[in-house]
Amino acid sequence: MITLLFILFAGLAVGCAVSVVVQRNPLYSAISLVGVFVSLAALYVMLAAPFIAAVQVIVYAGAIMVLVVFVIMLLNVEEEVRRRLRLRFLIPTAVVLAAVLIAETAFVIYFVQAQPSPMDPGTSEVGLTASIGTGLFTIYLLPFEITSVLLLMAIVGAMTLARRAQNVPVGVGVAPGAQVLTRSIVNPKAIGDATPVITNSTAEAERLLGGEKEE
Amino acid sequence: MEWLNRILEVAWGFVPITVTFIVVLMIVAYTVLAERRVLAFIQGRLGPNRVGYGGLLQPFADLLKFILKEDIVPDKSTRFVYFLAPVVAIMTALMTMIVYPFGPAVYIPILGEVRELVIARFDVALLYVLGITSVGVYGIALAGWSSNNKYSLMGGLRAASQLISYELSLGLSLIGVVLLSGTLDLYAIVEQQSGWYGLQWNIWRPDRIQFFGFLIYLISAIAETNRVPFDLPEAETELVAGFHTEYSAMKFALFFMAEYVNMLTVSMLATTLFLGGWNGPGVASFPILGVFYFLGKVVFFLFLYIWLRGTLPRFRFDQLMNFGWKFLLPVAILNIIFTATFAYFGLFG
Repeated sequence: MITLLFILFAGLAVGCAVSVVVQRNPLYSAISLVGVFVSLAALYVMLAAPFIAAVQVIVYAGAIMVLVVFVIMLLNVEEEVRRRLRLRFLIPTAVVLAAVLIAETAFVIYFVQAQPSPMDPGTSEVGLTASIGTGLFTIYLLPFEITSVLLLMAIVGAMTLARRAQNVPVGVGVAPGAQVLTRSIVNPKAIGDATPVITNSTAEAERLLGGEKEE
Repeated sequence: MEWLNRILEVAWGFVPITVTFIVVLMIVAYTVLAERRVLAFIQGRLGPNRVGYGGLLQPFADLLKFILKEDIVPDKSTRFVYFLAPVVAIMTALMTMIVYPFGPAVYIPILGEVRELVIARFDVALLYVLGITSVGVYGIALAGWSSNNKYSLMGGLRAASQLISYELSLGLSLIGVVLLSGTLDLYAIVEQQSGWYGLQWNIWRPDRIQFFGFLIYLISAIAETNRVPFDLPEAETELVAGFHTEYSAMKFALFFMAEYVNMLTVSMLATTLFLGGWNGPGVASFPILGVFYFLGKVVFFLFLYIWLRGTLPRFRFDQLMNFGWKFLLPVAILNIIFTATFAYFGLFG
């Protein structure tokens, strides 16, 4: 039974992985990658690691790939056109590397003494949430905290880059002539306030748009 | 004959799944009817009351209609994704049903043994629910993208951003309960809340009160299921019908069912984590009563959904985002900090 399920999910994972590379439409590649993540999660469950499986689905399939799909949808990325291969030496290189990889795998399978059978999900406690939590907050506390700081740095970096784009010079983008603006445009803090602000000249509109932004 | 026993064993595993599947679909059908009738009464109308006694057969008439309607596929849609989207939506909605404890250990006459009324009991049940729900976003987002319709696309994008935003506060609001129970196993969490005539429920239990956690969960759950007042992805005044504008017949019905199954899912999770699941007076001596208590509490939440729909106007999109990120998320984090602090210093017993 477990062998059948392994063949099913392993086949699904490999098939989806091939599909990620082969597909020309970026959205299809992204969906295939989600398939890879979900089948990997199923394999983790069979290896008695339910926590890793759940986190795999939540973080990769549920958060990261949703953002990727979101961006693909938002930008409406076109299908890649099939072009003539320019770097011809890549094909023999790929063949050699693939042969090396297969040889390594065969070596591991035939010469390294493996565990006789995968751990029984009913008895093993290594992959359960409690043991992982204990490990994270005792033995591996320092690596865990360092990883958190790394993620924090990434967030701060992204915030800095995103905020820098907003410092547009005063007066850029002001249409010439008298105009009626809404308060929400003039003052970014008054989101949704549609009270009209009437300006009689280009200079006045420029002053309004530049002036209130600086506070 | 060993292989025959193995096959029978596997087949037995499908029996509770099938029963749950049918019961869930029946509850969904009658929630739709209840919604139409209650909403009608709130608005001073009568609602559908012609098919069967008081309209009780209306869901089956609707089903027949959905099956018989013409199935229209837009010419320039992305066919494969267009067909995949409703499948993903309904599958992820139904898959979460396996972890909920519907009742305590009950003697089942056909089997001749005592069984816990839960399909699957495993270590990471709560994380499983969160994971499957987060995959459910694809159903809506892909439906919006593949229809090749700008209103659908807008609806899909709105849904995706809304679900990502509110998933955070939803997940964080549950951490308080997990901190105090010390387990992710839903059955164990329900068992911890038994006794004391309902005073042990996590929502108001004196030594581990999670009232704010419950409120945050409820609000984010309504946003997660795209219901009024957070139904921006299908705001009909702006987007026709949002992500399912181009879907018709049974494919539309699948989206419709997925929405109601999701409502049921979050109601069941709220009942399990905060309202004591199947606990209630008399469960200790008559365990089968637990099923009815569980269903009763779930029905209360479903009624709340309908009530809100009849009462509240819709948010604007920027209000929705501001509310989620600038109010709900900080409050959820504060709730975790307070709960953790009190739990650490032993103020929660």
